[in-house]
Amino acid sequence: MNNVLELNDISKNYHTKLGEVLAVKDINFKIKKGEIVSLVGPSGCGKSTLLSIIAGLDQDYYGSLNKAKYLKIAYMLQSDALLPWLTIYDNAILGLKIKKIYNAETKKYVDYLFDFYNLNEFRKSYPKNLSGGMKQRVALIRTLALKPDLLLLDEPFSALDQQSRLLISDDVYKIAKKEKKTVILVTHNIEEAVSFSDRVIVLSKRPSIIKNIININFANQESIYERRKDEHYHEYFDQIWKDLDINES
Amino acid sequence: MSPEQKKYLKKIKYNKIKVIIVQIILLSSFLILWEILVNKGIISSFIYSSPSRIIKTIIELIKNHNFFIHIYVTLKEVFISFILGISLGFIIALILYECKFLAKVIDPFLTMLNSLPKVALGPLIIIVCGANIKSVILMALLINLIVNIITFYNGFMGVDEYILKLFKSLGASKYQILTKLVIPSSYQTIIASFKLCISLTLIGVIMGEFLVSKEGIGYLIVYGKQVFNLNYVMTGIILLSIISYILYRLIIILENKLLKHL
Repeated sequence: MNNVLELNDISKNYHTKLGEVLAVKDINFKIKKGEIVSLVGPSGCGKSTLLSIIAGLDQDYYGSLNKAKYLKIAYMLQSDALLPWLTIYDNAILGLKIKKIYNAETKKYVDYLFDFYNLNEFRKSYPKNLSGGMKQRVALIRTLALKPDLLLLDEPFSALDQQSRLLISDDVYKIAKKEKKTVILVTHNIEEAVSFSDRVIVLSKRPSIIKNIININFANQESIYERRKDEHYHEYFDQIWKDLDINES
Repeated sequence: MSPEQKKYLKKIKYNKIKVIIVQIILLSSFLILWEILVNKGIISSFIYSSPSRIIKTIIELIKNHNFFIHIYVTLKEVFISFILGISLGFIIALILYECKFLAKVIDPFLTMLNSLPKVALGPLIIIVCGANIKSVILMALLINLIVNIITFYNGFMGVDEYILKLFKSLGASKYQILTKLVIPSSYQTIIASFKLCISLTLIGVIMGEFLVSKEGIGYLIVYGKQVFNLNYVMTGIILLSIISYILYRLIIILENKLLKHL
């Protein structure tokens, strides 16, 4: 199949003592290989819930989810989730160790990534000695080391300062484009969604339904900086802002 | 190194020395004042003893070959109860962490046991274990174990939820989550509970020795009271203060070694 992922009528209920909460309702979309898709919506709208369902962490939902058989999924979270008692290098290979695939070949790839992201001199350091941006880069290496086909990004840049935020999201953008990885980014930042993705799916507040799906086409796709300079950038921004329909009340 | 940096380091060192000097002055003035007040007859030497009498008592105890036995017996009891308390507490807390249902079931009982004054169990302990070291250790264990279980359990429960999600998304097994995440991330709580556990163990051991014992520092204190030689009591108290300080320092050293990177 051409699509790596298909969501058909996905709905999800949460059960609490006070009653049932419908988080997402009848969500349908398909994602092609190598596509970068952002999920945008107000906070608490169930974006992360959808990601958990796609990742297979949450099996309790209605509807059907079709994933390509070969699909290897990796998750990147809001927090860098580095283990403070492990060195930077040991943190980077954590996923490989857990999956028991740390061998000469994967080690070589990790070495290459360390080189590529200029983190070689910090291999033996501990997370507390690194800046927020560097730590998120280590988290990126840990994710990429698994050579995933599908990257699930749950607001991974939101805890960073503006500068690191742009740098790291550009890192992820470039590697995704270069290695033709499929990416789903969850964010509440419209600028990030427009500058980062090929397609933006706008969700409503709870119970979440898809309000609009916007295809983003820029002339120069080289980096997120170039994309931000595009003349249509603000039109996309305004369109999403309107779709989000966030009013003061 | 720049002169400013040198000056800064010197200042830190100077401040450290200053603290130690004031501590020594405080301690020696206390001891000297104590000695003088007793010698002048302002406070009773019979009740409060005095530093010189305590030294004489220690020399006498050493001559009678009792001094090191008392210390050895108390230390042995502390050591055994401490190790037992920590390991049992750790294992029970792990079982409760893995079995949340069980944790919920026994929660009120743990709270009840925790607030029960364990010394009330003294007579029962003596009848069950007999008048020997077992009673002392059981008393100390009763006092430190519940607190250990509760602290360890809370430590395990405090695992960062993002990291837990990461482990699950990587498909980590329960065993991997436990050994690679839950236990290592509780290092800090574990070491913190060592500090609490060592003082609770000392309390338990001395309480146990008060109840049943023929040797040990607790015995020395009880014996001193019985024969109305309060020099023994004061010597016991001073020895206990020194021992608890040394044990506490040892745990701090261990802490600094283990938690270097956190």
